[in-house]
Amino acid sequence: METERFDRTVTTTCGYCGVGCRLEAHVRQGRIASISPAADGPANRGHTCLKGRFAHQFTRSRERLTTPLIREGDGFRPASWEEAYARVVSELGRIRDQHGPDSIAGLASSRATNEDCYAMARLMRAAIGTNNIDNCSRVCHSPTSFALRKSFGLSGATGSFDDIELADVAILIGVNPTQGHPVVGARIKQAALRGCKLITIDPRRIELADYGVLHLSPRPGTNAAVMLGLCHVVARDGLTDAGFIAERTEGYETLAELLVGYTPEVVQEITGVPAQDIEQAAHIYAQAQTGCLLWGLGVTEHKYGSEVVQLLCNLALMTGKVGKPGSALLPLRGQNNVQGSSDMGALPDTYTAYRPVSDEDTARLFEQAWGVPLSRKKGYTIPQMFDAALSGELKAMYIFGEDVAQTDPDTAHVVAALEKLDFLVCQDIFETETSRYADVILPASSFLEKAGTFINAERRFQLVEPAIDPPGGAKTDFEIITTVSRMLGHDMGFETPWDCLDEIASLTPQYAGVSRERIGRHGAQWPVRADGSDSPVLYDTFFDNPEQRGKFAALPYKAPGDAADDEFPLILVTGRVLQHYNAGTMTRRTSNVELVDSDLLEIHPQDAERLWVSDGDLVSVRSRVGRIELEARVTERIQPGHVFTTFHFPETRTNLLVGQSADVNTSCPEYKVVAVDVRPVAEHPAYVPQLAGVS
Amino acid sequence: MQLTVDGLQVQVADGATVLDAARQAGAWVPTLCFDERQAPFGACRACMVAVDGTPKPVPACTTLCREGMVIDTNDPASRRVARTVVELVLSELPSAPAPHTELAQVAARLGVSGSRWSGAVHPVDHDLRHPYLAFQHELCISCGRCVRACDEVQGAFALTAVGRGFEANVAAGIGSGFLESSCVSCGACADTCPTDAITERLLLDGSINGGPPPEAPRLRERR
Amino acid sequence: MSRNLIELTRRHHEGAAPTALALLKTAVEDHGKITADDIRDAAAASGLPEATVYGVTTFYDDLKGPRGARHVRACSGTACFAATAGTHIERLGAGLGVGLGEVAADGSVSFGEAVCLGFCHSSPAFIDGTTVLAGPHALESLLAGRPSAAGEPDWISLLSEPVLTRTGDWSGLARALHELQPEQLLAEVEAADVRGRGGAGFPAGVKWRFTRAAPGAVKFIVANGDEGDPGSYIDKYLMERNPNLLLEGLALAGYAVGAAHGYILVRSEYPLSKPVLERAIRQAHADGWLGSDIRGSGFDFDIAVVEGAGSYVVGEETALLACLQGLRGTVSARPPFPAERGVQGMPTVVNNVETLANIPFIARRGAQAYHDLSPGSKSAGSKLVCFNERFNRPTVYEVPFGMTMRQLCEEVAGGIRDGHTVKALQIGGPLGGILPAGLLETAFDFEPLAAEGCMVGHGSIVAFDETTDMRALTVHLLEFGAHESCGKCFPCRIGLRRAHEMFSTGAPVDRQRFEELLETLELGSLCAHGSGMPAPLRSLLRHFPGELGLAG
Repeated sequence: METERFDRTVTTTCGYCGVGCRLEAHVRQGRIASISPAADGPANRGHTCLKGRFAHQFTRSRERLTTPLIREGDGFRPASWEEAYARVVSELGRIRDQHGPDSIAGLASSRATNEDCYAMARLMRAAIGTNNIDNCSRVCHSPTSFALRKSFGLSGATGSFDDIELADVAILIGVNPTQGHPVVGARIKQAALRGCKLITIDPRRIELADYGVLHLSPRPGTNAAVMLGLCHVVARDGLTDAGFIAERTEGYETLAELLVGYTPEVVQEITGVPAQDIEQAAHIYAQAQTGCLLWGLGVTEHKYGSEVVQLLCNLALMTGKVGKPGSALLPLRGQNNVQGSSDMGALPDTYTAYRPVSDEDTARLFEQAWGVPLSRKKGYTIPQMFDAALSGELKAMYIFGEDVAQTDPDTAHVVAALEKLDFLVCQDIFETETSRYADVILPASSFLEKAGTFINAERRFQLVEPAIDPPGGAKTDFEIITTVSRMLGHDMGFETPWDCLDEIASLTPQYAGVSRERIGRHGAQWPVRADGSDSPVLYDTFFDNPEQRGKFAALPYKAPGDAADDEFPLILVTGRVLQHYNAGTMTRRTSNVELVDSDLLEIHPQDAERLWVSDGDLVSVRSRVGRIELEARVTERIQPGHVFTTFHFPETRTNLLVGQSADVNTSCPEYKVVAVDVRPVAEHPAYVPQLAGVS
Repeated sequence: MQLTVDGLQVQVADGATVLDAARQAGAWVPTLCFDERQAPFGACRACMVAVDGTPKPVPACTTLCREGMVIDTNDPASRRVARTVVELVLSELPSAPAPHTELAQVAARLGVSGSRWSGAVHPVDHDLRHPYLAFQHELCISCGRCVRACDEVQGAFALTAVGRGFEANVAAGIGSGFLESSCVSCGACADTCPTDAITERLLLDGSINGGPPPEAPRLRERR
Repeated sequence: MSRNLIELTRRHHEGAAPTALALLKTAVEDHGKITADDIRDAAAASGLPEATVYGVTTFYDDLKGPRGARHVRACSGTACFAATAGTHIERLGAGLGVGLGEVAADGSVSFGEAVCLGFCHSSPAFIDGTTVLAGPHALESLLAGRPSAAGEPDWISLLSEPVLTRTGDWSGLARALHELQPEQLLAEVEAADVRGRGGAGFPAGVKWRFTRAAPGAVKFIVANGDEGDPGSYIDKYLMERNPNLLLEGLALAGYAVGAAHGYILVRSEYPLSKPVLERAIRQAHADGWLGSDIRGSGFDFDIAVVEGAGSYVVGEETALLACLQGLRGTVSARPPFPAERGVQGMPTVVNNVETLANIPFIARRGAQAYHDLSPGSKSAGSKLVCFNERFNRPTVYEVPFGMTMRQLCEEVAGGIRDGHTVKALQIGGPLGGILPAGLLETAFDFEPLAAEGCMVGHGSIVAFDETTDMRALTVHLLEFGAHESCGKCFPCRIGLRRAHEMFSTGAPVDRQRFEELLETLELGSLCAHGSGMPAPLRSLLRHFPGELGLAG
């Protein structure tokens, strides 16, 4: 029916968040004319949010990069692809030869396809010879990945979004799905209205709290105590699933001893959550037949974020609410392919499916396939890369599809590191805060211009098909990466991304049955066996570790890396809004800016009154490492003592405020607990962000 | 359970509607207010079919299947009702619906090319202030799909039916439009609208004249 | 009815918080119109979204402003039409100097219509604020600024032992609580074959059985007191003059079905009903007939009265439930039936007021005695009927089924007044067929009336005398039909408007096209409003084709 209005329609997968909506992209005259949701999309069921549906104008922005750029003095000059490739290859080759392969690092993008990420990892490992490859899941869900592997065995959701509709109860912790994951947020809201008891745990009173039975507002950084308190009540009141614990788990006794001390009263002291609410939440969850746990970056982006995820797993294991329909642990992944970029081995310590680089058999498998010797040494994580750049050990970076200078913590530190590099390649669709420091900028493709696969937050491989061509001289990321690799002397031998997908399947037992045809319109949730059968539910009979048992983790509460004090009396939490997406690179180039055009600082009326701040005032926010200015929004959504803002606009540069504190296991930055001081801007002298090299 | 649609045996699950059964049998039943993402509404009455043993045609979308039911989707009285309904609907619009719309396509398939009815039509009333969503109230046929999409799919509850009888229409917020409502701009209303009463503003700008979609806004200058 | 909206209200209405509709009515009464702040406040207090509340404000006649300090309305019901051919409405407007639906420039007075004030025995009727004036001199005294309340009608039973006109004394409930298990009472009601008295004639026992069997601990009984049928004032009589009988019927229904809460939805056009019922409820609580552990039986039952806001279709049960919960009074497709998902999404019985008024007798005397009330008929029980002002003795009568229409009109109501003759009767409300004078031998009973395209309906009997212009009557009926269409289903929403346009313009009417429209209304409409409107229109086509201005 759309043929009259459109030249053609292509079914693909949304490139915004990790929900993985299937979209119908309608094309006219080589441009996206409209996007509608695919009726048979397994995650979105004929629905999508304003980003997936409307925010496609960025594809035809006049600011798109359409030709390679090479640094010349303080600026850049257009260059041919030949020149740009030659420059990249000669510089990377020179640095590798002079300083060794470990002096070079690459960043893959959680926005890009599995095939792009796999090729990027292969470029670093095989063409350069280093494990210095990481992706932006480092700064969001690496703690989830770490903890799920520890507790259950596999790094992914234990079930599917469909479990939400089957759940009698759902606990949402540190996640705001109606803003960050709108389509799942809508599904949760409908489930809550149909009788699923919703418990929300977040310092802010999120929208879904209005549809729930209970909302807990713990102090930022005290999630661990909340989880320990819930487990305490479950154990104390005999609400555990003793059969499940006996048959399917290990380590419960040690946990039980630890739990004794976390009475609701103790937890109230730590978290500020009333003891009776802890009791009630524990009872509602434990007494339900089925229950889901959903979390987001409010859990992970903490000093002990990975431990909190393990504590979440404890709660599910104690009550037997894992591995069956309606009882799933569902981390809501931030970016469209944050699951896949890590699954594909774009990590410093693992090949595909989280097989360690130090594992001899795996390394040999890849050496055989790729025909080159491979390093057994773990590479740098993203924060380690910046440290190494500052210390002079890291000389070059190849950053693809990320804007670390806007999104990573302690912006001043990041910028200093980027400045210090001998050579920086940025591959992106727009100039970014990061590309200001590049030597070569390569014009790449958006998700609407490329082929491949994404993996959504349900572990579901879904097809990405190009609806339009990259603009001007821009190329697909896959073509750029494989060309650079070939010119560096390592020909990957891929004609198309689909060849790459076949190689991934052939080298990864967990994805053995994955192919373009098998994924089809409905996707395939890994593990995908050789016969093509997939896995909507994990752990229905055993956990995926040598003991085949769920592992309890007896981890005590520890204080977060930052705390309010006299100088910095408020705690800042950061997050997203519905209308914008992360660094805003895409959404700020759409009419979404007509709906929301700046970051705002949410502040409770009590604090606002004390600080002489009125709604709409420009305020200065100062932390131990930086200072920004933005407009205040006075609201009771936030608790007294806390403030909240987003990080979508480079004008604000929210991450100037975030320090170096990070997750103890995965170095995921502690974005969610930053002690700050807020003042009306009039009390400070006029302020200009101080960034090295920025005029 | 087992039943018969136009002479064809079909098997349906408990709780299936006659419309489900008809679609399963590959039979076309005209609908205007139905959207499979939403609970059946039973407003348009275009989906009437005959069921053996019932004296009058029944609406397929809101009638539950029973074991052994014998359904005739080509029942002449039912089709007369469908055609009259579509003719009546066309008569309330000040202009014919665009050819790509569901209403135009259902009308064409029923062989209804215009309306013999004259009389009052909906007054032209546009709200084009939202960057993505356009209201053309005169095209509203009160099928309730947008209101239900906002309620049952998105849960934003930004839309409501307004008025009564022939004056019925839809509105966002307290009649103030999308921008001043709880709308989250998901577009589910535009997606389901069978007449373009709510549609994508960008398509209105471009497609009606067959021109290219408009340029993207430029990134704002730094402060 | 949106399941989500019902759930949102349910969550908000633990206790007796007012509905959005009640808050909006209060706002109109307080300051004559509804402001954006009123909508936001009503949304916050009721738990409904702002858009939903806005939708409510645009649905009900009573909420449509603006209003003057004094709000005067003329009755546009069929009895008043039969009395004046509609001239009383124009005369009121002219007398006030204000156009219909408008406010005087100085804001002192506004002029509107009300669809039947239930003073059909004393037409024409007007309502000034909450004072109803009726009768031939009402307009003069109203315009002279001397409004005096109209007289209420009497009631007369033709039965040797009155049932529906016997003053309620709770003896049925007393017997049930002590001698009958709920299941036994339900069985009696089933055996009594009580058919709904609101128009559709659906067996009450079946509704009760379904609701009793539906899963769920919380159930509701709703009395449908939205007697919107122009020409009828039967429920008005029961609610205002014999409230205990209704309350007792509700309590008995609750006992049989397993419900602890009852509601009565009354019309705002009957300003006395709510206060009278509330007074009776307070008295019943004081006497121990309502409340917790009624008379030591362990049975709990309470009743709340909710007032509508001007909509005929709210008399349809799903629309009534929507109105009761403060939503737009639009019809919902069934299933789900109220017996599965009614008030707050819980199993609910909706019975007409008169239907419930039958129950105390059955509880007291049993099903057989109930059958014996109409010895000459297959129908059980008795029926209240009422007559319009054209008759010599118009009032509420309790009659057995099976009398002929002629007996009712001539022997009971004393024939047509002032030397006029009857031209036709409309029986049972605006959706009832029209019986020409030549068919007065037809018996007043379900089947015989159906055979003539008519119905018992609500039991109102409106006579048109020989002066009535049948095309004008057609326009009157269609104006009512189009005005009251809830707007949900397409045939009714558009079809009644088109039908009205066909007749109101004065041009000849294409009979074939009109009949096509009637077929679509009849077969396609979602509720009895659209599917019932063709009945009187077909009667007119059949019996008075020459007066309708038909072509083709």
